[in-house]
Amino acid sequence: MKEKSVLKKITGSREALLAVILILLFAIVTVISPSFLTPKSIMDMLKNNAVTMVMSLGMLCVMLVGGIDISIMSTLALSGMAIGMLLKYNHISNTFVAFVIALAIGAACGLVVGLVISRADVPPIIATMGFMYVYRAMGYLISNGGEWASAAALGSFKDFATTKILGMSCVIWVIIICYVLFFFFMKWTRTGRKIYAVGSNANAAEVSGINVKNIKLMVYVIMGILSGLGGALQVSVYASAMPDMQQGGEMDVIAACVIGGVSMSGGRGTVLGALLGSLILATIAKALPLVGFDALWQNTIKGVLILVVVVANVVLQRVADRSALKGREM
Amino acid sequence: MNKKLVSAVLCGTMIVGAACPVFAGVADGKKIALVGKSAGNAFFEIAAASYKETVEAEGGTVDVVYPEAATADAQIKVLDNLISQDYDAICISANDVNALQAKLEEAMDAGIKVSSFDSAPNADSRQVFVNQAGTQAVGQALMDAVLDISGGEGQWAILSATSQAANQNAWIDAMKSIMESDEKYSKLELVEVAYGDDEPQKSTDQTAALLQNYPDLKVICAPTTVGIAAAAKYLQDNESACKLTGLGLPSEMIEYTGADDAHSCPYFYLWDMQGLGKLSAYATIALANDEITGALDETFTAGDLGDYTITEADDGGTEIVLGLPLEFNSENIEEMAKLY
Amino acid sequence: MAGKSGRSINNVPESPIKRTIFSWEGILVIVFILVNLFCAWFSEFYNLKNLLRQMPVYLAEVFLMLPMAYILVLGEIDISVGSIVCLSATMSCIVCNTGAPFIVVVLTALVVGTLCGAVNAFILTRFEELPPMIVTLATQIIFRGIAEIVLGSGGSISATNTDGFRMIGGKVGSVPYILFLVLILAVIFAVILGKSTFGRRVYAIGTNRLTAYYSGIHVQKIRFIIYTVMGTVSGLCALFLVSSSYGANTTTGNGFEMDAIAMAVFGGISSTGGKGNLAGGVISAFIIVCLRVGLGQRNVHAQVILLIVGLLLIGAVALPNIIGQVKRAIKK
Repeated sequence: MKEKSVLKKITGSREALLAVILILLFAIVTVISPSFLTPKSIMDMLKNNAVTMVMSLGMLCVMLVGGIDISIMSTLALSGMAIGMLLKYNHISNTFVAFVIALAIGAACGLVVGLVISRADVPPIIATMGFMYVYRAMGYLISNGGEWASAAALGSFKDFATTKILGMSCVIWVIIICYVLFFFFMKWTRTGRKIYAVGSNANAAEVSGINVKNIKLMVYVIMGILSGLGGALQVSVYASAMPDMQQGGEMDVIAACVIGGVSMSGGRGTVLGALLGSLILATIAKALPLVGFDALWQNTIKGVLILVVVVANVVLQRVADRSALKGREM
Repeated sequence: MNKKLVSAVLCGTMIVGAACPVFAGVADGKKIALVGKSAGNAFFEIAAASYKETVEAEGGTVDVVYPEAATADAQIKVLDNLISQDYDAICISANDVNALQAKLEEAMDAGIKVSSFDSAPNADSRQVFVNQAGTQAVGQALMDAVLDISGGEGQWAILSATSQAANQNAWIDAMKSIMESDEKYSKLELVEVAYGDDEPQKSTDQTAALLQNYPDLKVICAPTTVGIAAAAKYLQDNESACKLTGLGLPSEMIEYTGADDAHSCPYFYLWDMQGLGKLSAYATIALANDEITGALDETFTAGDLGDYTITEADDGGTEIVLGLPLEFNSENIEEMAKLY
Repeated sequence: MAGKSGRSINNVPESPIKRTIFSWEGILVIVFILVNLFCAWFSEFYNLKNLLRQMPVYLAEVFLMLPMAYILVLGEIDISVGSIVCLSATMSCIVCNTGAPFIVVVLTALVVGTLCGAVNAFILTRFEELPPMIVTLATQIIFRGIAEIVLGSGGSISATNTDGFRMIGGKVGSVPYILFLVLILAVIFAVILGKSTFGRRVYAIGTNRLTAYYSGIHVQKIRFIIYTVMGTVSGLCALFLVSSSYGANTTTGNGFEMDAIAMAVFGGISSTGGKGNLAGGVISAFIIVCLRVGLGQRNVHAQVILLIVGLLLIGAVALPNIIGQVKRAIKK
């Protein structure tokens, strides 16, 4: 009896299925290339995918209310470029101030996006597509038409990414803190639960006294803040700010969430799912050059893997649903 | 409703109009367009600034135009726009070798002179190409750097931009053939050519993979500005024994350049970016003034840079070679980083 | 799915709604005229001759807008079209270089496009719970990836025999063939969407897929057809694109999906499904084309042009909604 319920739990939970997929991926890559599963290699992987991992949390919130945001990497470029230029021309030198500015710019960008979506009823994909162009263009304009802020210009700001606390880079701590915060926020705070309520059924949420518009506004502000954080992390990790950084990267973030079982029509998805989804994508990115595929094939393989993971997810879910139904009949 | 929308459109566009003044054009001056690969590329900006300065000092006008993305499709739209505007000459850094041929031929048919620099369209699409440094010379310099830094033997790898990047592929091919042609390189083993797509994130992943797969790797050669900076950062942060050389911007590399163990890159190369802009400007002016046609062995004077002769390029077209690549090391990098 | 329950049902043609749709097109026509007047004032080179000469490259993208409108009316999205264009263009150039007659080249482009579309369609109908965005994101990477593999390390191919491509890039007088073809296809697509049973069903699915299914509409069959046709039209787009560059490379068609979606949405087609018609889409496509040509002719920075297009896009959808809200507030 007990065994059955454990099995049921595993097949019934999306996250458990994803964890199995992730472990399989880890195992396969380690067999082919043993150097993959070393603490240093894993920490490299986390650090190099910090931006996607942190931003998946915001995308999770946005997708939970049935929205989507493809302007995030433009917000990232704008906020990252802004602090890059401020540091380069010595307007600021303090790392903390730089982070605050990046977050503030991100929040402002998110606020505008959120207002347009929640107050003017513009479909999220359209609004954020528009802002994708607008913020990217603003990023170019503040870069003086194409200047880069390089390692030397960034001063002590870039040390943030190389500083280690308890043997782990600050960047990894930022990821951990973000995930822990969001785990509690989504699960145990009233606001977090409201996001789920709006996503599952906006009308019902409205009737039960939730201000749906404000919740929608809030998720885009959260997304904006995390994009700003992403901008600061990007500049710090790679010690360089360029106006075209992370162009097209929004799709990685969306893919991470969808792989993690976040529903695009809203209401379904968890912080754990977002974590597993972005870890799967990170593993694919890290493993492709390690395993030694021909460079020309790497993109195709990445695409096929994404497709396989989402399809496998659906198929396993169907099997799980069917067995659940069977159980009821019995 | 109509009025609002319309006025919004008009306002928006008028602001743009005011923000982007267009040069009236000096009566006898030449009207030249300089087309970049994409906006926001510091590497191109340096040459463009010097190009513009040179032409304007000679009494002409330059419009620096960017495509909306780093693709040939977007450059075709730009060329269409330029052909409409009766330019005397276009100087382009091409995003693709072949795709611009139809448009550039159309431009030449319309009497517009076509020169190129940095990255050449194919021989039929241009009158002359200003090459920053001969392909062989770049390959030789990089190969010797690898030989020197590795101490004459061991494993080394290349970290390039995209697998389609024409310039990088030419340099890599040159390096390979030089390595085979001379006995002194025989103890060097090129283990892999990796591609970081000129993205910091992917370049970092590729660099890490090279180190993990080849623990004895001695040198990475990265002939691309974004790749070399990302690799330099990764190697230096990890205090790797593997060293780096390649082609990069001094201002991007200043933190990583030095002969000691604390720095990941002993020395690297690039060319005289200001000189490239200047020479391209003079070449374009010479074309526009019919001083040269782009044929082999023609000569012209490029201001204070001196006289240049048109030579044959590897692709069968003609080119003007700026000179040898410049070496940047701990001694001169402070100075050069101020320039570019 | 859609927020306000009353709104999506209203999209079945009823006279008051019809009137508002008409008025949106009316506005678009006025905007079109104004944009042209503005461009003529803004750029001394903006004239019919230059416009017709510059238009073909943009018109290739207008092709994509037509089936994309159907997909948007379904309430879905296809972001793989740019990559399908890339793969079709690549394959047609390869076939062209084998010396095959031009008709074979044309067929190659169309067949490759159709196959790619069918792959999307197959996955999306077989696993209908998968969101189209993520599936087409994966195929976007895959199709372009295949083109990268086929093209090899050069990443670029040039058509050696350009006669055929020169021919389809030709002109009647100074009007390029592609303009006629765009208009003809636009009429066909518009009539099918607006007047036929098939079109009505597309709206029905976009308004409420489940209701449509229970009222006996073969939802998956219709989705299959539309995604496949999207592929075919991408192949057509690829042909005309090659006719302006005589070649293909790994970045061919990059970002076309966004341009096509922008044109459709600016034309009043809702991305939440069930709303809009193609006449608006076509007019707005020409507005965007004219504006970009006009601004481009004075070398306005490419990023600034994108900024304007972005603002237009948001404004075009936000303004009617805001005005509607204000009207409702006043009524109260």
